[in-house]
Amino acid sequence: MLANVNATRMELLRLKKRLNLALRGHKLLKDKRDELMRQLLAAIDEVKTLRFSIEMKFQSILEKFVLAKAGMGPCATEQSLLLTAKKISVSGSRRNIISVNVPVYTREVSGSILPYGYMNMSGEMDIALTDFDKFLDDLLNLAEKEKSVQLMAVEMEETRRRVNALEYKLIPGISETIKFITMKLEENERSNTVRLMKVKDIVRSH
Amino acid sequence: MDIKVAAFGEKDIISMFKAAGIDTFSVNGDIDKISEAEEKLKQIVSEGYGIIFMTETIASKLDSLVREYANETQPSIVVIPGLGKRNNYAVKNLRRAIIKAVGADIMAEERNRSE
Repeated sequence: MLANVNATRMELLRLKKRLNLALRGHKLLKDKRDELMRQLLAAIDEVKTLRFSIEMKFQSILEKFVLAKAGMGPCATEQSLLLTAKKISVSGSRRNIISVNVPVYTREVSGSILPYGYMNMSGEMDIALTDFDKFLDDLLNLAEKEKSVQLMAVEMEETRRRVNALEYKLIPGISETIKFITMKLEENERSNTVRLMKVKDIVRSH
Repeated sequence: MDIKVAAFGEKDIISMFKAAGIDTFSVNGDIDKISEAEEKLKQIVSEGYGIIFMTETIASKLDSLVREYANETQPSIVVIPGLGKRNNYAVKNLRRAIIKAVGADIMAEERNRSE
Protein backbone atom coordinates (compact mmCIF):
# COMPACT_ATOMS: atom_id res chain seq x y z
CA MET A 1 0.00 0.00 0.00
CA LEU A 2 1.24 3.42 -0.85
CA ALA A 3 1.80 5.59 2.18
CA ASN A 4 0.80 9.21 2.09
CA VAL A 5 4.18 10.93 1.99
CA ASN A 6 5.90 13.95 0.56
CA ALA A 7 8.09 13.01 -2.34
CA THR A 8 11.27 14.53 -1.01
CA ARG A 9 14.82 13.34 -0.73
CA MET A 10 14.64 13.50 3.04
CA GLU A 11 11.61 11.26 3.13
CA LEU A 12 13.38 8.86 0.80
CA LEU A 13 16.37 8.63 3.11
CA ARG A 14 14.13 8.07 6.11
CA LEU A 15 12.19 5.33 4.34
CA LYS A 16 15.34 3.60 3.19
CA LYS A 17 16.54 3.46 6.78
CA ARG A 18 13.19 2.04 7.86
CA LEU A 19 13.27 -0.56 5.13
CA ASN A 20 16.70 -1.68 6.23
CA LEU A 21 15.57 -1.99 9.79
CA ALA A 22 12.44 -3.87 8.79
CA LEU A 23 14.43 -6.30 6.69
CA ARG A 24 16.84 -6.94 9.51
CA GLY A 25 14.02 -7.44 11.99
CA HIS A 26 12.24 -9.73 9.59
CA LYS A 27 15.27 -11.93 9.19
CA LEU A 28 15.82 -12.12 12.94
CA LEU A 29 12.18 -12.88 13.66
CA LYS A 30 12.11 -15.52 10.99
CA ASP A 31 15.12 -17.20 12.57
CA LYS A 32 13.42 -16.99 15.92
CA ARG A 33 10.28 -18.52 14.50
CA ASP A 34 12.15 -21.42 12.95
CA GLU A 35 14.07 -22.16 16.10
CA LEU A 36 10.96 -21.88 18.22
CA MET A 37 9.19 -24.29 15.93
CA ARG A 38 12.01 -26.79 16.28
CA GLN A 39 11.96 -26.54 20.06
CA LEU A 40 8.19 -26.70 20.16
CA LEU A 41 8.00 -29.83 18.06
CA ALA A 42 10.55 -31.56 20.28
CA ALA A 43 8.66 -30.47 23.39
CA ILE A 44 5.35 -31.65 21.94
CA ASP A 45 6.73 -35.09 21.27
CA GLU A 46 8.05 -35.29 24.80
CA VAL A 47 4.78 -34.15 26.33
CA LYS A 48 2.80 -36.60 24.26
CA THR A 49 4.76 -39.65 25.33
CA LEU A 50 4.95 -38.44 28.92
CA ARG A 51 1.24 -37.80 29.08
CA PHE A 52 0.24 -41.17 27.69
CA SER A 53 2.52 -43.06 30.06
CA ILE A 54 1.35 -40.98 32.99
CA GLU A 55 -2.29 -41.50 32.23
CA MET A 56 -1.82 -45.24 32.08
CA LYS A 57 0.12 -45.33 35.33
CA PHE A 58 -2.24 -43.00 37.09
CA GLN A 59 -5.24 -45.04 36.12
CA SER A 60 -3.79 -48.17 37.69
CA ILE A 61 -2.71 -46.36 40.83
CA LEU A 62 -6.10 -44.77 41.15
CA GLU A 63 -7.82 -48.09 40.76
CA LYS A 64 -5.68 -49.57 43.52
CA PHE A 65 -6.34 -46.62 45.75
CA VAL A 66 -10.09 -46.66 45.23
CA LEU A 67 -10.26 -50.38 45.80
CA ALA A 68 -8.26 -50.07 49.00
CA LYS A 69 -10.48 -47.25 50.09
CA ALA A 70 -13.57 -49.27 49.38
CA GLY A 71 -12.13 -52.17 51.33
CA MET A 72 -11.45 -50.07 54.39
CA GLY A 73 -14.40 -47.76 54.28
CA PRO A 74 -14.27 -44.06 53.44
CA CYS A 75 -14.27 -42.87 57.05
CA ALA A 76 -11.29 -44.94 58.08
CA THR A 77 -9.34 -43.85 55.04
CA GLU A 78 -10.16 -40.25 55.66
CA GLN A 79 -9.03 -40.55 59.22
CA SER A 80 -5.76 -42.26 58.45
CA LEU A 81 -4.85 -39.78 55.80
CA LEU A 82 -5.80 -36.79 57.86
CA LEU A 83 -2.36 -36.15 59.29
CA THR A 84 0.28 -36.14 56.64
CA ALA A 85 3.81 -37.06 57.52
CA LYS A 86 5.13 -36.09 54.18
CA LYS A 87 6.04 -32.55 53.34
CA ILE A 88 6.41 -31.64 49.76
CA SER A 89 8.05 -28.49 48.71
CA VAL A 90 8.64 -27.56 45.16
CA SER A 91 11.07 -24.89 44.24
CA GLY A 92 10.81 -23.31 40.89
CA SER A 93 13.14 -21.39 38.69
CA ARG A 94 12.96 -20.12 35.16
CA ARG A 95 14.71 -21.30 32.07
CA ASN A 96 14.97 -19.14 29.02
CA ILE A 97 14.23 -20.80 25.70
CA ILE A 98 14.56 -18.09 23.04
CA SER A 99 13.02 -15.40 25.22
CA VAL A 100 10.26 -17.66 26.49
CA ASN A 101 10.56 -18.06 30.22
CA VAL A 102 9.55 -21.58 31.04
CA PRO A 103 9.34 -22.89 34.58
CA VAL A 104 11.60 -25.55 36.01
CA TYR A 105 10.35 -27.38 39.07
CA THR A 106 12.49 -29.28 41.48
CA ARG A 107 11.00 -31.30 44.27
CA GLU A 108 12.24 -31.61 47.80
CA VAL A 109 10.51 -34.09 50.00
CA SER A 110 10.72 -35.12 53.59
CA GLY A 111 8.96 -37.87 55.48
CA SER A 112 7.32 -41.02 54.29
CA ILE A 113 4.16 -41.03 52.29
CA LEU A 114 2.48 -43.48 54.66
CA PRO A 115 1.12 -41.30 57.43
CA TYR A 116 -0.37 -44.14 59.39
CA GLY A 117 0.68 -47.15 61.39
CA TYR A 118 0.38 -50.49 59.68
CA MET A 119 -2.43 -51.61 61.89
CA ASN A 120 -5.94 -51.38 60.50
CA MET A 121 -4.67 -50.47 57.08
CA SER A 122 -4.86 -52.68 54.08
CA GLY A 123 -1.78 -53.62 52.14
CA GLU A 124 -3.29 -52.36 48.92
CA MET A 125 -3.34 -48.88 50.34
CA ASP A 126 0.38 -49.07 51.10
CA ILE A 127 1.12 -50.18 47.59
CA ALA A 128 -1.08 -47.53 46.03
CA LEU A 129 0.46 -44.75 48.05
CA THR A 130 4.08 -45.77 47.55
CA ASP A 131 3.43 -46.08 43.84
CA PHE A 132 1.88 -42.67 43.88
CA ASP A 133 4.89 -41.26 45.68
CA LYS A 134 7.20 -42.42 42.90
CA PHE A 135 4.73 -41.14 40.38
CA LEU A 136 4.79 -37.56 41.71
CA ASP A 137 8.09 -36.77 40.03
CA ASP A 138 6.60 -37.65 36.68
CA LEU A 139 3.63 -35.45 37.39
CA LEU A 140 5.85 -32.47 38.19
CA ASN A 141 7.83 -33.14 35.08
CA LEU A 142 4.64 -33.15 33.08
CA ALA A 143 3.52 -29.91 34.71
CA GLU A 144 6.76 -28.29 33.66
CA LYS A 145 6.67 -29.60 30.11
CA GLU A 146 3.03 -28.83 29.46
CA LYS A 147 3.45 -25.31 30.69
CA SER A 148 6.46 -24.78 28.45
CA VAL A 149 4.54 -26.04 25.45
CA GLN A 150 1.69 -23.70 26.20
CA LEU A 151 3.93 -20.70 26.72
CA MET A 152 5.93 -21.50 23.64
CA ALA A 153 2.75 -21.83 21.63
CA VAL A 154 1.70 -18.33 22.64
CA GLU A 155 5.11 -16.91 21.79
CA MET A 156 5.13 -18.81 18.53
CA GLU A 157 1.83 -17.32 17.49
CA GLU A 158 3.03 -13.83 18.28
CA THR A 159 6.26 -14.30 16.36
CA ARG A 160 4.47 -15.80 13.41
CA ARG A 161 2.13 -12.86 13.21
CA ARG A 162 4.99 -10.41 13.48
CA VAL A 163 6.91 -12.14 10.71
CA ASN A 164 3.86 -12.17 8.48
CA ALA A 165 3.03 -8.56 9.21
CA LEU A 166 6.55 -7.53 8.28
CA GLU A 167 6.73 -9.74 5.23
CA TYR A 168 3.36 -9.04 3.69
CA LYS A 169 2.47 -5.61 4.98
CA LEU A 170 5.25 -3.38 6.18
CA ILE A 171 8.09 -4.29 3.83
CA PRO A 172 6.05 -4.22 0.59
CA GLY A 173 4.46 -0.96 1.70
CA ILE A 174 7.78 0.73 2.31
CA SER A 175 9.33 -0.60 -0.90
CA GLU A 176 6.39 0.66 -2.88
CA THR A 177 6.61 4.09 -1.31
CA ILE A 178 10.34 4.22 -1.97
CA LYS A 179 9.72 3.35 -5.58
CA PHE A 180 7.07 6.03 -5.82
CA ILE A 181 9.38 8.67 -4.37
CA THR A 182 12.32 7.78 -6.63
CA MET A 183 10.07 7.87 -9.69
CA LYS A 184 8.65 11.19 -8.63
CA LEU A 185 12.12 12.64 -8.04
CA GLU A 186 13.33 11.38 -11.41
CA GLU A 187 10.29 12.85 -13.07
CA ASN A 188 10.99 16.20 -11.42
CA GLU A 189 14.57 15.99 -12.60
CA ARG A 190 13.48 15.33 -16.16
CA SER A 191 10.94 18.12 -16.20
CA ASN A 192 13.60 20.40 -14.81
CA THR A 193 16.01 19.50 -17.62
CA VAL A 194 13.32 19.99 -20.23
CA ARG A 195 12.43 23.36 -18.75
CA LEU A 196 16.07 24.41 -18.84
CA MET A 197 16.42 23.31 -22.45
CA LYS A 198 13.29 25.21 -23.34
CA VAL A 199 14.55 28.34 -21.59
CA LYS A 200 17.87 28.02 -23.36
CA ASP A 201 16.09 27.73 -26.69
CA ILE A 202 14.11 30.87 -26.01
CA VAL A 203 17.25 32.73 -24.94
CA ARG A 204 19.14 31.58 -28.04
CA SER A 205 16.39 32.61 -30.47
CA HIS A 206 16.50 36.20 -29.24
CA MET B 1 11.30 -19.44 44.71
CA ASP B 2 9.02 -21.82 46.54
CA ILE B 3 5.98 -23.01 44.74
CA LYS B 4 2.83 -24.17 46.42
CA VAL B 5 1.12 -27.24 45.04
CA ALA B 6 -2.59 -27.82 45.13
CA ALA B 7 -4.92 -30.57 44.02
CA PHE B 8 -8.42 -29.72 42.95
CA GLY B 9 -11.19 -32.14 42.10
CA GLU B 10 -13.43 -34.89 43.35
CA LYS B 11 -12.84 -35.95 46.89
CA ASP B 12 -12.22 -39.61 46.10
CA ILE B 13 -9.24 -38.94 43.92
CA ILE B 14 -7.93 -35.92 45.68
CA SER B 15 -7.47 -37.64 49.04
CA MET B 16 -4.57 -39.52 47.52
CA PHE B 17 -2.77 -36.24 46.92
CA LYS B 18 -3.36 -35.33 50.50
CA ALA B 19 -1.23 -38.26 51.65
CA ALA B 20 1.61 -36.86 49.57
CA GLY B 21 1.50 -33.59 51.45
CA ILE B 22 -0.22 -31.61 48.76
CA ASP B 23 -2.92 -29.15 49.76
CA THR B 24 -6.24 -30.44 48.56
CA PHE B 25 -9.44 -28.68 47.68
CA SER B 26 -12.32 -30.97 47.05
CA VAL B 27 -15.11 -29.89 44.83
CA ASN B 28 -18.32 -31.34 43.60
CA GLY B 29 -18.54 -31.92 39.89
CA ASP B 30 -22.28 -31.37 39.65
CA ILE B 31 -23.58 -29.12 36.95
CA ASP B 32 -25.21 -26.68 39.36
CA LYS B 33 -22.03 -26.26 41.39
CA ILE B 34 -19.87 -25.04 38.55
CA SER B 35 -19.84 -21.40 39.53
CA GLU B 36 -18.83 -22.50 43.00
CA ALA B 37 -15.95 -24.52 41.60
CA GLU B 38 -14.96 -21.59 39.45
CA GLU B 39 -14.82 -19.31 42.46
CA LYS B 40 -12.74 -21.86 44.29
CA LEU B 41 -10.24 -22.19 41.49
CA LYS B 42 -9.88 -18.43 41.28
CA GLN B 43 -9.31 -18.34 45.00
CA ILE B 44 -6.66 -21.06 44.80
CA VAL B 45 -4.84 -19.17 42.09
CA SER B 46 -5.00 -15.89 43.96
CA GLU B 47 -3.52 -17.60 47.00
CA GLY B 48 -0.43 -18.16 44.93
CA TYR B 49 -0.49 -21.85 44.13
CA GLY B 50 1.94 -22.48 41.31
CA ILE B 51 1.01 -26.01 40.33
CA ILE B 52 -2.56 -27.18 40.37
CA PHE B 53 -3.50 -30.78 39.70
CA MET B 54 -7.01 -30.96 38.42
CA THR B 55 -9.20 -33.86 37.45
CA GLU B 56 -10.37 -34.14 33.90
CA THR B 57 -14.06 -33.94 34.66
CA ILE B 58 -13.71 -30.67 36.54
CA ALA B 59 -11.27 -29.20 34.06
CA SER B 60 -13.56 -29.76 31.11
CA LYS B 61 -16.33 -27.96 32.97
CA LEU B 62 -14.12 -25.01 33.83
CA ASP B 63 -12.70 -24.91 30.34
CA SER B 64 -12.76 -21.16 29.80
CA LEU B 65 -10.98 -20.49 33.08
CA VAL B 66 -8.37 -23.16 32.44
CA ARG B 67 -7.70 -21.68 29.02
CA GLU B 68 -7.30 -18.27 30.54
CA TYR B 69 -4.64 -19.52 32.93
CA ALA B 70 -2.90 -21.51 30.20
CA ASN B 71 -1.29 -18.42 28.73
CA GLU B 72 0.15 -17.21 32.00
CA THR B 73 3.40 -18.35 33.55
CA GLN B 74 1.67 -19.18 36.77
CA PRO B 75 -0.17 -21.38 37.65
CA SER B 76 0.50 -24.48 35.61
CA ILE B 77 -2.59 -26.57 35.63
CA VAL B 78 -2.03 -30.27 35.14
CA VAL B 79 -5.05 -32.24 34.15
CA ILE B 80 -5.12 -35.78 35.50
CA PRO B 81 -7.51 -38.49 34.44
CA GLY B 82 -10.36 -39.10 36.82
CA LEU B 83 -12.51 -42.06 37.56
CA GLY B 84 -15.09 -43.16 35.07
CA LYS B 85 -15.39 -42.04 31.51
CA ARG B 86 -12.39 -40.43 29.87
CA ASN B 87 -12.77 -37.26 27.89
CA ASN B 88 -9.15 -36.70 26.88
CA TYR B 89 -9.30 -33.11 27.96
CA ALA B 90 -5.53 -32.75 28.31
CA VAL B 91 -4.83 -34.03 24.83
CA LYS B 92 -7.44 -31.70 23.39
CA ASN B 93 -5.85 -28.84 25.25
CA LEU B 94 -2.43 -29.75 23.89
CA ARG B 95 -3.79 -29.96 20.38
CA ARG B 96 -5.37 -26.55 20.76
CA ALA B 97 -2.03 -25.07 21.79
CA ILE B 98 -0.38 -26.64 18.76
CA ILE B 99 -3.01 -25.36 16.37
CA LYS B 100 -2.54 -21.93 17.83
CA ALA B 101 1.21 -22.07 17.40
CA VAL B 102 1.60 -23.75 14.06
CA GLY B 103 -1.68 -22.83 12.43
CA ALA B 104 -2.36 -26.46 11.56
CA ASP B 105 -3.24 -29.60 13.44
CA ILE B 106 -0.02 -31.58 13.40
CA MET B 107 -1.22 -34.23 15.79
CA ALA B 108 -4.14 -35.22 13.59
CA GLU B 109 -1.84 -35.44 10.62
CA GLU B 110 0.49 -37.76 12.49
CA ARG B 111 -2.38 -39.98 13.47
CA ASN B 112 -3.58 -40.24 9.91
CA ARG B 113 -0.13 -41.19 8.77
CA SER B 114 0.18 -43.94 11.32
CA GLU B 115 -3.19 -45.37 10.45
